[in-house]
Amino acid sequence: MVDAGKWWTLPVAPALLLGFAVLAVAGKTALDDRGAGRSVTPVGVLRPLLAVPRALVAQPRRLPASDRLLWRLGVVTVPVAAVLSTLVIPFGNHVVADLSVGVVWFNAMEVLTWAGLWLAGWGPNAAFSLVGGYRFLAQGLAYELPLMFALISAATGAQSLRVTDIAGAQHGLWYAVWMPFAFAVHLTGVLAFSFLGPFAYPAGRDIADGVLGETSGVDRLLLRAGRWLWLAAGAAMAVPLFLGGGAGPGLPAWAWSLVKTVLVLGLLVWVLRRLPALRADRYVELAWVVLLPAAIVQVLVPALVDLGP
Amino acid sequence: MGLTDFLVRAAARRPSVLLVTMPGGTPVRLAAERELRCRGWAEASTPAGADLLLVAGPDCPALRSGPDRLWDDMSRPRVRLRAETAEAVAPVLDEGRARLGETERGPYGAVDPRGHGGPPMAGPGEDRDGLTLDRLHLSLGPFLADWPAGLVVRVVLQGDVIRRARLGEPYETGPADPFWSRPWIRASAGEPVPVAEAARRRAAAHLDSLGRLSAVAGWPAEAVAARRLRDDLLEGAPADAVLPRTMRLARRVGRSRSLYRLTWGIGPLTAADAHAAGVSGPAARAGGDVPARYRQWLSDTLDDMRRLDDTTTLLDPVAEESPRGRWDTQRPPSAALAGLLPRLLEGTELAAARLVVASLDPDPDEPAVRRQEVARG
Repeated sequence: MVDAGKWWTLPVAPALLLGFAVLAVAGKTALDDRGAGRSVTPVGVLRPLLAVPRALVAQPRRLPASDRLLWRLGVVTVPVAAVLSTLVIPFGNHVVADLSVGVVWFNAMEVLTWAGLWLAGWGPNAAFSLVGGYRFLAQGLAYELPLMFALISAATGAQSLRVTDIAGAQHGLWYAVWMPFAFAVHLTGVLAFSFLGPFAYPAGRDIADGVLGETSGVDRLLLRAGRWLWLAAGAAMAVPLFLGGGAGPGLPAWAWSLVKTVLVLGLLVWVLRRLPALRADRYVELAWVVLLPAAIVQVLVPALVDLGP
Repeated sequence: MGLTDFLVRAAARRPSVLLVTMPGGTPVRLAAERELRCRGWAEASTPAGADLLLVAGPDCPALRSGPDRLWDDMSRPRVRLRAETAEAVAPVLDEGRARLGETERGPYGAVDPRGHGGPPMAGPGEDRDGLTLDRLHLSLGPFLADWPAGLVVRVVLQGDVIRRARLGEPYETGPADPFWSRPWIRASAGEPVPVAEAARRRAAAHLDSLGRLSAVAGWPAEAVAARRLRDDLLEGAPADAVLPRTMRLARRVGRSRSLYRLTWGIGPLTAADAHAAGVSGPAARAGGDVPARYRQWLSDTLDDMRRLDDTTTLLDPVAEESPRGRWDTQRPPSAALAGLLPRLLEGTELAAARLVVASLDPDPDEPAVRRQEVARG
């Protein structure tokens, strides 16, 4: 049975999310160190965390004719939306808020990052930053609809938008097994809304880091943290949606949730290094011509199975 | 020790470095990139994300204002460094980190960058679909990350589509010394240069270009792999140490279906057009788009690596191509490559334009040789 709304889940959920995000950053740094021929040490892989003291001592930076209010609002939106999305994600037998429309809540929070990144690109009044902003909109047009249908596939299978119902409806046969395409599209969507690795196009090196390029200090820290928080949130959401949640033999439910989340996170971090940036002008075609129709067909599968009996 | 001191010192442990390469600074850039990679210090793309500003290469009076503006854009704590030679890089970086940890600190007023007026206002104009859209005048270079140092392309942008492009005037530089073509220049002057040395330099040059292309294509992992091989080659690694790794790189990058799908059709240049424009190197032999060119680099690199032990044959500077084409002091190959850019860039989207430039990778230090010769003559 799932416990919802315990008071202590409120601080624990963001702390867990942060823990997973730090784990993902450390994993990525370890892979990068190995690729660059540096020695991999437990302390060394945590060096991206030095961005925290750096952000705290940095001098504030003002740009001419920048839109500071909207810029700041956009930057803050990204990590805050990531944290809010975890409210509906069950971990083991606990969830902060067991909303009857949990899937919609998660999706709504994720769509908030559209606004956040667009504003973050618009705010500084700099050409490359702005290009980064609309690159994310183009990328969003490509990944969002297939992602929505992937979420709907899981919801259709369980005939519920409540995330705990979806996890409970998988009775030993994970949705990842009989809806593999929806699972893959969900993972792709996670990389896309984290704008990391192959989807780092809005913050590409070819436009001098795009949306990140003009940010400094705490703004930069929030935006960069937001990416990894979203990666962790997306990985955690994949567990109840496609991997049966906390269900599993032997171990307690929280341990299964932990193991599954870490495995999904590990897979995502590994993929980050394997592909070049998927430019939206090429990716949109694949997304709309191949992924979207296939995602709709995927929704039909659980719909027909449910209609059957 | 106060909390601020502690934070400043902690932040200074792994600074991120904005590397600015001056014309003629290629060997210093290579040393700096190698040093940053080994230390695991981040390479910043913009002043906003940088703690250290490292100006690499000889002084260039015409370009002095560039690093000054980048410096004004950086927020404190910050340290400005200069390395004129490759040997100076490591001690200068050590010094930079030490100074960053004890730099003068707060309370700061806000840094107010671009006291120089900011970007010019955009004005409306017709776009490629006949709609009226703002036109933004922008300079690409001379100090863009992963961009040929000193190259300037002035573009008119609508959205992120380049409507017009033209080459900026080359800068007056000090004594030109194009690092990548050095063996050919020496051989042209009559000095005996072993073919092995030239092959090593050419393979390293292609790997450098490939690293830049991978970085621009948003594939930092392969950029690091290519640059690591380049550094090993320049340090004199034997063929059997680098060849298997290069073959793996060629498999991962050259046969990557995703990279191919993302870059095909961009920057088409037929062999005939290339010859007509005076281009003779790998770009002409590839005779195609961006994937044709990076695959040509990879196969040329592998061929060169099989000749690293040939120390008896001497380099014939006419028969053997320099990294970017047949060496000719009057018409260095990079001049022809750069000349192609405006035509290839117009109508492309910004990301595609960066791929085109990276896939031709003209070396601005080469045309500097010609200017010098002309001035002397």
